[in-house]
Amino acid sequence: MKVLNRRKMIQVNGVLFLLLILSVIGCSLLGPVPLDLSRAFENLFAPEPNAEILFRTRLPRVLLGIAIGGGMAACGVVLQALLRNPLACPQMLGVSGGASLGGILGLIFFPNWILPIGGGLLGEISWVPLAAFLGALLSMVLVYRFSLFHGRLHPYHLLLAGVIFNSFIAAIIMFLNSIVDFYQAQSLLFWLMGSLSTRAYLTVAFIWIYVLLGFLWLWAKGLSLNLITLGEETAMQLGVEIGSVQRQIFVASSLMIGAMVSVSGMIGFVGLMIPHVMRLIVGSDHRLLLPASFLAGGIFLGWADTLARLLLAPAEVPVGIITAFFGGPFFLFLLYREGRKKVAL
Amino acid sequence: MSRVLLIALLVSWVACNVPGQAIGAELPRRIVSLAPSVTETLFALGFGDRLAGVTTYCDYPAEARKLPKIGDFMNPSLEAVVAKRPDLVIGVAGVTDPVKAREMERLGLKVVLVSVSNLSDILAAIRSIAALLGSEKEGEKLIAKIAAQVEDVKRRIAPAARRSVLMVVGFQPLISVGGKNFIDELITLAGGDNIARSAAQPWLNLPDEVVVAKAPQVIIEAGMGSEWGKSVKRWGDLRSIPAVREGRVYSYSSDKILRPGPRFGEALAELARLIHPECFASPSSRKRSEENRCESPKP
Repeated sequence: MKVLNRRKMIQVNGVLFLLLILSVIGCSLLGPVPLDLSRAFENLFAPEPNAEILFRTRLPRVLLGIAIGGGMAACGVVLQALLRNPLACPQMLGVSGGASLGGILGLIFFPNWILPIGGGLLGEISWVPLAAFLGALLSMVLVYRFSLFHGRLHPYHLLLAGVIFNSFIAAIIMFLNSIVDFYQAQSLLFWLMGSLSTRAYLTVAFIWIYVLLGFLWLWAKGLSLNLITLGEETAMQLGVEIGSVQRQIFVASSLMIGAMVSVSGMIGFVGLMIPHVMRLIVGSDHRLLLPASFLAGGIFLGWADTLARLLLAPAEVPVGIITAFFGGPFFLFLLYREGRKKVAL
Repeated sequence: MSRVLLIALLVSWVACNVPGQAIGAELPRRIVSLAPSVTETLFALGFGDRLAGVTTYCDYPAEARKLPKIGDFMNPSLEAVVAKRPDLVIGVAGVTDPVKAREMERLGLKVVLVSVSNLSDILAAIRSIAALLGSEKEGEKLIAKIAAQVEDVKRRIAPAARRSVLMVVGFQPLISVGGKNFIDELITLAGGDNIARSAAQPWLNLPDEVVVAKAPQVIIEAGMGSEWGKSVKRWGDLRSIPAVREGRVYSYSSDKILRPGPRFGEALAELARLIHPECFASPSSRKRSEENRCESPKP
């Protein structure tokens, strides 16, 4: 195993971090309506349109997008390694299905329940994401139970259990969708397509804490992940407690995915594509790949959401469409370039 | 010989049937409706008792709920429709699956699709459904009733200045009514200007920042999840929006307004009452508020 190149680590992540900061600023400044910055800053706490657009609608949204893009990409990296499958992505774990079902039930049965946090002093949270997160936790436990093979989490079983669980949940969702009334069905569909629309800094803060803690947990397993990708037996011979590592990765990424899907719905493609793109750019050492993917995922989703707001303004395009539409061809291009490189060698 | 007989038979059959059809063209007795708006129209015309099947979404008037169902309005079951042996099937153009409509025709059913994408279409649909049932008079009566409702609203709001309106039909994310939607026409008739009219889509997901920038004077939440009292809270953090500041955020929980049927006159009156409440004040309080509110609520 190669020693981690510290200089490369700092260079790559430094550049990406800088780009991330620039993206936060850029994405907050761009939108379907022009902004008068001086008025926005003058009226920070006053009911003034420019200030409200910048600080109450755009900034929380950009921050949420970056957390979710980063979290999805990081989960994608570890799941591809854990399941040793290049097609693995956060949507595959079954957790996202459980979260969607929870959210849908929330939307149908208590769309208006609101939970005051800290007696309402810290703001209020809709029950819909809470129901979704509950669904995510339940499905995590279920999928985990089904993936045990001789008492150990088995990657192959995990993959199958996740995919089948998701299709089962999808069937329930389609059934619910067909029995609610027409307009309710439309709302459910929009929720399922995913959106980063939020004005609650409280929600954004929750997601950031969740995603950051989860990310650090996963990052700490970077070296073990490198060894696992070499094959389970090799990893075990090299002293990796493979069962424990697999379990931890599953739990950490499930919690992250559950929280993310609860708030933003299913935003696809980031978790599948960014890990591959970054692997092509920075190599497959997980200690470097994980933070790089996190930062790149954040940048990508931040800009994808900005484009989602701009493309058909004043209407907003579901951000999942943007991620697939622009991410797909770019990924294919990288794949093509990589193929040519190998031939040239 | 047999050929001559056959021709003779054929001629006599045609002779008996063609004029017969022209004269006594049987009026439909068993109708299947493929849309809630069509069901409402039939009931409004007084032909609810001829409905042999409706969609699962047909819930108005209450009698409609008890009628046999033939599937939902996007996916009617071909089998269920045919099993009702209808002599007329009425669907909505652009919603009823054209392939299914064609199949029903192929199975010998008479299928009529009416268009209800804007207000004049809705009136035309009422007229043509009435004609299909041979009661043009009833149709004209219903249209006259709706026209009177529209006129009443127009007269009441005439002195008031127009107000910009955001009409929400879904949350998480925010879905609003765009242009090219009959509800947009209703808002206009009710003395409002839909802030999302420029959008090409009939329904669109509107980012919050656009709402702030367009600064609607009235916010109306219709459809799912609309509940009195909750709406004000939902917008409470955006106090630069005039509707929020002035307390003009309303919930409208009836789906009357979302349905392109014969109740649109009623829906219009209710909508206008939300946009210009001062123009609908009761006579006693109206005297007080007439000159200072209804006539000069300029922004």
